[in-house]
Amino acid sequence: MLKLVDLVKAYRTEEVETTALNSVNIHVRDGEFVAIMGPSGCGKSSLLNIVGMLDTPTSGQYWFNGEEVSKYGERKLADIRKKNIGFIFQSFNLIDELTVFENVELALLYHDIPARERKERVKAALEKVNIGHRESHLPQQLSGGQQQRVAIARAVVAKPKMLLADEPTGNLDSANGDEVMRMLTDLNAEGTTIVMVTHSMPHAQYATRIINLFDGQVVAENLRAA
Amino acid sequence: MLKNYLMVALRNLLKHKLYSAINVTGLAVGLATCVLILLFVRNETSYDRFFTDSDRLYQVAFKAQLPGRQVDHFAVSMLPLAAAMKEGLPEVEMAARVVQSSIVIKHAGESFSESARAVDPDFFRMFDFQFLRGDRLTALDEPNSIVLTESMARKYFKDAEALGQTLDIDGSGPAKVTGVIQDMPSNTHFDLEIIRPYAAVAQVMRPLESNWGGVCCETYVRLKPGTDGKALSDRMPAWFKTAAPTLNSPTGNVVLGEIFTPRLRNLKDIHTDPVMSSMRPATSYAEIITFAAVAALVLAIASINFMNLATARATQRAREVSVRKVVGASRSQIILQFIGESLLLTLIGLVLSIALVELALPAYSAFLDKKLTFNLFTDPLLGPALIGLALVVGVAGGAYPAFFLSSFNPARVLKGASSGVGGGSGRLRMALVVVQFAISIALMVATAVVYGQLLYAQNKNLGFEKENTLVVRGFARSADRARQETLVEALAKLDGVVAVAGSNSTPGDGSENNTNVRLPGTDPNQMLVLRQSGVDWDFVKALGLRMVAGRDFDRNRPADQLPPLADPAEAPAGGSAAPTYPGSVILNEAAVKRLGFASNEEAIGKQFEAPADDDGTNKLTIIGVVADFHFRSIHDPIPPAMFFIDRDRFSDVLVRVKPGDVQATLRDIERVWRDMFPNRPLNREFLDDRIQSQYIREAKTSQMFATFSGLAILIACLGLFGLASFTAERRTKEIGLRKVLGASVLDIVRLLVWQFSKPVLIANLIAWPVAWYFMDLWLNGFTFRIGLNPLLFVAAGGLALLIAWATVGLHAARVAQAKPVTALRYE
Repeated sequence: MLKLVDLVKAYRTEEVETTALNSVNIHVRDGEFVAIMGPSGCGKSSLLNIVGMLDTPTSGQYWFNGEEVSKYGERKLADIRKKNIGFIFQSFNLIDELTVFENVELALLYHDIPARERKERVKAALEKVNIGHRESHLPQQLSGGQQQRVAIARAVVAKPKMLLADEPTGNLDSANGDEVMRMLTDLNAEGTTIVMVTHSMPHAQYATRIINLFDGQVVAENLRAA
Repeated sequence: MLKNYLMVALRNLLKHKLYSAINVTGLAVGLATCVLILLFVRNETSYDRFFTDSDRLYQVAFKAQLPGRQVDHFAVSMLPLAAAMKEGLPEVEMAARVVQSSIVIKHAGESFSESARAVDPDFFRMFDFQFLRGDRLTALDEPNSIVLTESMARKYFKDAEALGQTLDIDGSGPAKVTGVIQDMPSNTHFDLEIIRPYAAVAQVMRPLESNWGGVCCETYVRLKPGTDGKALSDRMPAWFKTAAPTLNSPTGNVVLGEIFTPRLRNLKDIHTDPVMSSMRPATSYAEIITFAAVAALVLAIASINFMNLATARATQRAREVSVRKVVGASRSQIILQFIGESLLLTLIGLVLSIALVELALPAYSAFLDKKLTFNLFTDPLLGPALIGLALVVGVAGGAYPAFFLSSFNPARVLKGASSGVGGGSGRLRMALVVVQFAISIALMVATAVVYGQLLYAQNKNLGFEKENTLVVRGFARSADRARQETLVEALAKLDGVVAVAGSNSTPGDGSENNTNVRLPGTDPNQMLVLRQSGVDWDFVKALGLRMVAGRDFDRNRPADQLPPLADPAEAPAGGSAAPTYPGSVILNEAAVKRLGFASNEEAIGKQFEAPADDDGTNKLTIIGVVADFHFRSIHDPIPPAMFFIDRDRFSDVLVRVKPGDVQATLRDIERVWRDMFPNRPLNREFLDDRIQSQYIREAKTSQMFATFSGLAILIACLGLFGLASFTAERRTKEIGLRKVLGASVLDIVRLLVWQFSKPVLIANLIAWPVAWYFMDLWLNGFTFRIGLNPLLFVAAGGLALLIAWATVGLHAARVAQAKPVTALRYE
C-alpha cells in the first residue's frame, strides 16, 4: 500500500531548522493495521500528514500504490487523497453548521456521485457506526463518542483503501474509546488498511504492528503477538 | 453540492448575526449609494438625446477674448449669425435663433409676468418636441401664434382645450395658442415654457438685427446628414473672420473675428460643457467623474468591510475548509465556494439596496429637481447593470478571503482541539482599514473645503450692498421709460427708502455691454474695451459702492449728464463732422489699470472718448473712481468698467431700503407702482436673493457630496465596529490574563482603542497629501478662493479618530469589564 524511503521532513523558521522526520523507512502492506507510537514531538503527526498527503516531505520517496507521490503538486495529491484516503481526528472535526447526515455526505460531495446513491451510502455508513437515529442532529447535540462515530462514518463513506487515524481515542473516555477501536478493527477486518497514531498502549494493541518513533526516527517495529 | 454550499452559507449567516448584519448593511448602503450616484450620472450624461436628429443638431458657442480681459466662454451669439451660416456654409441645412423675452400676459382680468422664448420658424422643424396639441411643423408660422407647455396651458386654461384660445400679451396684442407641448424633461438644456415666433420680438430686436457685436440669442443649426460636425466646427473661426464685418467706430476699429472664436457644440454635449449664459446650469465632466469616483470609493469601502470581516472570521471557517480539503475538495472548489458566498451576501445586499433606492428616490429626485426613474421592469438596462454591479463587488470583496481561506493547511488546523489559525492576515486587515479611513478622511476634507468655498462665495463682500437692495425690472419698452423718472422720484420720497437709481444693468443680471474707447496719446490700434453702464444720479448710493477717488455724480452739475443726441432731422445739412458730446464718467479700479493710469487720483480729470449711439463721440471726463465690485458671482473676474449718466433712461430701477420694517416699505413701493402701472404686476427681487440663487446648484452639489461622504464614513465605521467586536472576542483570553496580572479596566480599554487608533492615524498621512493636492487643484478653478487651512485637515483626522474611538470604545469597555475568570475559562 505505501512505502516510505529515507523520508525527511524539516521545518524551517527564520533562525532554526527543525528536523521532524529523519530518514524514515516504513512499509505498510495492503490490509495492515499499523499503530504509530512515541512521545510528544517525536514526529508522529508530521509522518501522518505526509502519509495523508496533507504535507509533502523535504526529501526522500513516498510510494503510494506503486506511485511515487512525494513530488506531486497540491492538485494531484488532492485527487489521490480523495480517492484513497479517509481521515479520523482526535478532535473529530465535524462542521458545526452541518447536520450529522450532511457532515458525512460532505465526503461524497467532491466525488461525482448522484444524490440518491449518496443518500444510501451515507445512511449505510451511519447505520454501521450505530448513529443512524441521529442523522438530523447537529454535532453539538452529540456526545464525544457519538461525534467520533460520525467522523468515522465520514471517513469511510467514500470507501477509501486506507484510513488514517490521528489519536482517534484521545478525547474519549475508555468505554467510548474501546468502542471506536472495535469499529476500526472491524473495518480492518473488511480489508481497509489503517494507520493510526496513538498514545494509548492498550489501543495500540488492536493493531497488527506497532511502529515506535523517537526524535524523528523509527526505533522499533514489533508485530503484535497474534 | 450547490445545495450544500448554500446551506453552509445561510447557516453561517444566521449563526453570526452581527457579522452578517454589518456586511449586508454595509453592502446595501454602499450599493444604494452607488446606484443613486449612478442614476445621477446617467441622467447628467443623457441630456438632449431624445430628438430624432440630435446627432446633427448643434449650438454655436463662443470663446471671447476681449482685450485686457480674461477669456470668456458663452452660449449666446449675434442675431445675424444664423442667416449668415445658412447662406455661407453649405453644410447647414436649417438654422434657428432663440431669444429670451420677458412678457406680461393679461388673462381673465389678471396680469402675469412670464419668461418667453421667441424662436425662428424652423425651430420646431429642427427639434421634434412632442406636441400634445397642434401641428409641430406649422405651429409658429403665424406671427401672432404662441406655443405653451402643458403646465402653462393648465395655468391659463385649466382643463379646457387650450388650442385655438387666445392670450393677451401686453404690448403686442392677442396671441393664438397653436400648440401645446410636453413640459421639458429634466434631461434637456432647453428651458422652455412659452414659445413665440421670432416675429413677435422682431420690432424690439431690430437695432441688433444686423449687429455683429452684440450677443443676445442662442443659435442652433441642423447640419445635412453625413456632415462631419467636428470638421465644420474647426472651420468656423476662419469662416467667422470673413463673415463678421469689422466694426468701425469713431474710437477705433473692432475686428470681431479676433475677439470672438465660434465653435459648434453637438446638442448632446451641451449639458456637460459649462459656459456662461446657458439656459440651464450645466455640469462639467469633471464633476460627473468626481461623483462617479465617490460611488466607486463607497463601494470599495463596503467591499473592504467584507474582505476584512471575512478574513478576520477565517479562524471560524478554518476547520470547515480543512475538512473539505481532507475529504477531497480541491483549492479551486474552495475558492469558488467562498466567492459564491460573497456573491450571495452581495445579492442580499443588492435586494436591500433596491429597497433603499426606492425609498430614497422621491426625496433624491426632488432634491436634484430631476425626474429620476428607477424601474426594474421597464428599464431593460437596469437589471443587468445591477447584477453586474453586484458581481463586481461580490467577486472583488470575495476573491481575497477566498484565496486566503483556501490556503489553510488542513494538517495544522485539524490537529488542535481549537482551530489553530492565528490572525495571519492581521496586518493586511489593518492596511485595509487604513485605506478605508484614508478615503473617509479625504472625503471629509473635500466636503469641508467644498463647503468652505461655498460659504466664502456666498458671504464674500461683493463690493456692493446686496442686503436690502431691491431691483425693479421691466422697463424694456420706451413708453415705460418716459414715466420712469416719475417713479424714481416717487419711490425716493418713501420713508423706508434710502436711495433710488435707474440702471441699465444690475449685479447678477448676466447682461454686459462693452465698448471700445480711445485715450488720447495711446496707440489707436490698441483696443481698449470697457464695460459700460448707463446709470442714474444715485447709482453709487443705491448700490452702496465705495468711492476711492474723486467724486460721485452730482444732480446740481448738469454737465455730468451726457447731452441728448442730436436729432438726425436737425443735423446740419451734409454735416460731415460727426458730433461730439461732453459728459462725466466714473471708472472702477480695474478700468483705471486698464487705461494705464498710475493711480486712481491720477485718473481724475483725464478725458477719453467712447462711441455714442449715433455716429458721434462721447467725450468723457473722469470724475471719480469706485472700488471694484463683482457684476456676477465671485467666480467671474472683475472687468474694467465705466459708468455714466444715461440720457436714454433705464431698464431696471435699484431701490435701497432701510433695514427694519422692510415689509412696510415693500407695501409702500407696491402701492406707488400700482398707482403708476395699474395693469402690470410689480416685478421685483432682492439682490441678495438673486446672488444667492447663483449658488443654489453649488449648494446642492456640496450637500450631495457631504451626504455621500457621510455614508462612506458610516460604512467604514460599520466595518470597524465589526472588526473591533471580532478582535475583542478573540482577545478575551489575553485580556483576562492581563487583568489577572493587574491591568485596570482603563488599561485594557486603552490597549484596544490604541490598536484601532493606529490605522486611523496612518490613514491621515495618506489622506492629507492626496486631499491637499486635489482640493488645491479644485480651488484653483476659482478666481477668488479660500486658502487650505491645515487645521481643517487635523480636524478631519481628529473627527475620524473620535468616530473610531466611539465605535471601538463600546466593545473595549465591555470586554474590559468582564470577569477574568469567565475570560480564562473561555477555551
